[in-house]
Amino acid sequence: MTTLSLLNTPSIKKTLPLIGLLLASLLLTACSNPQNEAVDYSQQFPVADGGTMVDAMIGEPTGLIFMVSGDSASSAITAKIFNSLLTYNGDLDLKGELAENWSISQDQKTITFTLKKNLKWADGKPLTSHDVLFTWQLITNEATRSPYASDFQLVKKAEAPTPLTFTVTYAQAYAPALDSWASLQILPEHLLKGQDIHTTVFARKPIGSHHYQLDDWQQGEHIKLSRNPLAVLGPAHIEHLVTRIIPDKSAQFLELMAGHIDSMGLDPIKYSRVIPARPALKKKLNLYKELGNSYTYLGFNLKRKPFDDVRVRKAINYAIDKQEIIDGVYLGLGINIASPYKPGTRWSNPTLTPYAYNPEKARSLLKEAGFSDSDGDGVLELNGKPFAFEIVTNQNKEREKSAVIIQRRLKEIGIEVRIRAIEWASFISRFINTGDFDVVILGWGLGLDPDQYNIWHSSQQAPGQFNFVGYHNPKVDELLEKGRTEMNPDRRMAIYHDFAKELLEDSPIVYLSAGYGLTAIHKRIQGVADPVPAAGVGYDSHRWYIPQRYRQNQISEH
Amino acid sequence: MLKYLIKRILWMVPILIGISLISFFIMHLAPGDITSNEAAFNPETSEESRQKLRELYNLDKPVIVQYGLWLKRMVKLDFGHSFKSHQKPVFLGTTDKDGNYTKGLIEQALPITLMINLLGLAITLLLAIPLGVLSARKYQQWQDKSITLFNFIGFSIPGFWLSLLLMYWLGVVNDWLPISGLHNLNYEHLDTWGKIKDTASHLVLPVLIPSITGLASITLFVKNGMLDVLHQDYITTARAKGLTEHKVVYTHALRNALLPLITIIGLSIPGLIGGSVISETIFAIDGMGKLFFDAVTSRDFPVVMGILTIGSALTLLGNLIADIAYAWADPRVRRGVARG
Repeated sequence: MTTLSLLNTPSIKKTLPLIGLLLASLLLTACSNPQNEAVDYSQQFPVADGGTMVDAMIGEPTGLIFMVSGDSASSAITAKIFNSLLTYNGDLDLKGELAENWSISQDQKTITFTLKKNLKWADGKPLTSHDVLFTWQLITNEATRSPYASDFQLVKKAEAPTPLTFTVTYAQAYAPALDSWASLQILPEHLLKGQDIHTTVFARKPIGSHHYQLDDWQQGEHIKLSRNPLAVLGPAHIEHLVTRIIPDKSAQFLELMAGHIDSMGLDPIKYSRVIPARPALKKKLNLYKELGNSYTYLGFNLKRKPFDDVRVRKAINYAIDKQEIIDGVYLGLGINIASPYKPGTRWSNPTLTPYAYNPEKARSLLKEAGFSDSDGDGVLELNGKPFAFEIVTNQNKEREKSAVIIQRRLKEIGIEVRIRAIEWASFISRFINTGDFDVVILGWGLGLDPDQYNIWHSSQQAPGQFNFVGYHNPKVDELLEKGRTEMNPDRRMAIYHDFAKELLEDSPIVYLSAGYGLTAIHKRIQGVADPVPAAGVGYDSHRWYIPQRYRQNQISEH
Repeated sequence: MLKYLIKRILWMVPILIGISLISFFIMHLAPGDITSNEAAFNPETSEESRQKLRELYNLDKPVIVQYGLWLKRMVKLDFGHSFKSHQKPVFLGTTDKDGNYTKGLIEQALPITLMINLLGLAITLLLAIPLGVLSARKYQQWQDKSITLFNFIGFSIPGFWLSLLLMYWLGVVNDWLPISGLHNLNYEHLDTWGKIKDTASHLVLPVLIPSITGLASITLFVKNGMLDVLHQDYITTARAKGLTEHKVVYTHALRNALLPLITIIGLSIPGLIGGSVISETIFAIDGMGKLFFDAVTSRDFPVVMGILTIGSALTLLGNLIADIAYAWADPRVRRGVARG
């Protein structure tokens, strides 16, 4: 009855306007700016150990053994826990991580890694070449369901003759091998021997050798890492790294604004509009821009007419204004590329230039290919059939927007385009694996190793393989084969420069743009390399530190 | 009555099998399987490894065979393991030979969702009943009109938008409430009282927002029920014999007006355990809605089927309980059941 007596008219008469007032004030204040924070974050302090840094990710890792989990959320965490034999330095050249150095035999088939001395796992046990051999045996084991096994199955023989030496022999020279050893995270034999890799509790309680070790994993809430004092590369400065799982990017951004998380990846709008417009935010956040790891492209189904005609592909390439897409979709935060490699790295051919926007040239190329607007309806025809096709893409806002811009430009030269955006799993199974598409908008990684055999070689066209556009060019096939067996970096570079030139000339895909990776990091985190090295802002995060004055009351340190 | 109950419970078995069969086939109509995830587009991965995975999970067999295998496990109440989350059990946790306990996915998510939704429902009812009664008593007067207006504003505001706005106002502009998540990062170092306070403050927004946006329909139900009842003869009789207005409304009218609410609560049971993807995503709550959504997008079939089966079983059970409660509350219904 207590609640019901609330109804007696006098009290409700008072509360109703109050509720209204509350709602109105809420809407009003919500639009005002947050109060300025008192702390001044502009001071620089000397390096100090300790403190807690909090960031967020949108999805939870499926497990912490990367070779079987394979998702990007897992890799973000395992990359801090486990080491590989090799790694990339700031300029994206290979260097040793667990390995002190490596050598390649005269016949180019055998690689010998020499491990650093006195390596230890976080539990104090020695890390030796037997762990490396064990990891290789694990990933190539029939029972292991690793999506990444294929590179390692090419190894004919692997041996650990001494605790510091590990050798692998390939049936024939395999140049991408070094890159694959930079991606394989070495697992401890003494903890995993005899366990079923798919069900072992190690996937939730891993022990590694890198800067950080797992402290606590609260399902659906956060993953807490602590500094590993035995880290093989020397200890990091920040004591705890906490990654909160916040699936919604807007909620993440609110947490960033409130100072509850220290860093997050941004989209172009937040980077170039939202944060610059708020002085309070600008005062406490540093913004970083780096060339991203992937590019977006428009890919033709080369097995379908008229896309088998290079003149048609080139015409569409000329008809699309890439700068317009970069400005419109990425707010200018991207670049135009002419080869599938990171500009500025050795593999990217500096003499190539992207197709310029040139609708006149596009029109004349289409005319050459036999297209004309014979019935005067504004749409080109070939043998009476109007030139119309469908662009399929997955539900990705940036790709959808790019498609709309392309649609308009192609309409101007007389091509009719429909757009369809599909959920990822359906998109892959219904369109890509079956080859049932005209044109797609998708992305590829700007790989650190130049080998792109799986994407462009004509043998890789079966369902589920990656040359789904159906590209077939004997010259490119030959270059890709040669590039795989050439261990000399300079000769290899020349091969891939030729490959990129051929690819650009043939235009099986239209490079649309490579977006920048944008990151905000709270100013209380110091020691962040600026300008950002080619390897990205997080590349040397073990050197970051939080001065004593800027440590918030986040986690009590034990 | 007992015969009726047994009959109803026995009927649930074929209904559940029917539901599971239809769900299973609809699920398999969507293109793709567990291998069509983000790694499916990584050139370092191979089709052979994907095929190996399909064979292991029997995804290469005809759908009807897969359904048979699933049913065979279900008979033993074995919900299986998730394809995606590293072999985590779908429903209840398991302990391996070394004594390590792995929590089941539904076991983890269901209590959170249930708690939030039950609290939300309680608040909705607590607000909706008095508001509905007042609306009916002051029908067409300013009180009724402002309640209706307020309710429909709440009903029309998109929940996610209101959530983000309140998160901004209460969490960023003012440091009054946490923005997202269920616990503070130093939760484990708090004392019991601190833990309760911490959880409660995290729950304010996720509980309040759905109850405000859900207020309209229940208020309207109470109001209409009340309006019907207030015009009945027995109310006129009660008034005629000189009972106070308070007694007429709360003792005689309200009880009858609340009867339809039992049905509404019974119908809301699937919602109680289903959770909401949008609100759970925004507030970073690891509940049933997100579990189901993620399972569908990653084609994690055992999890999808587990949630659907448990969900439908609980829904059928909820309907049964609602019917029994109705019979308990309304003698007319009771007599009808006894005769049938």
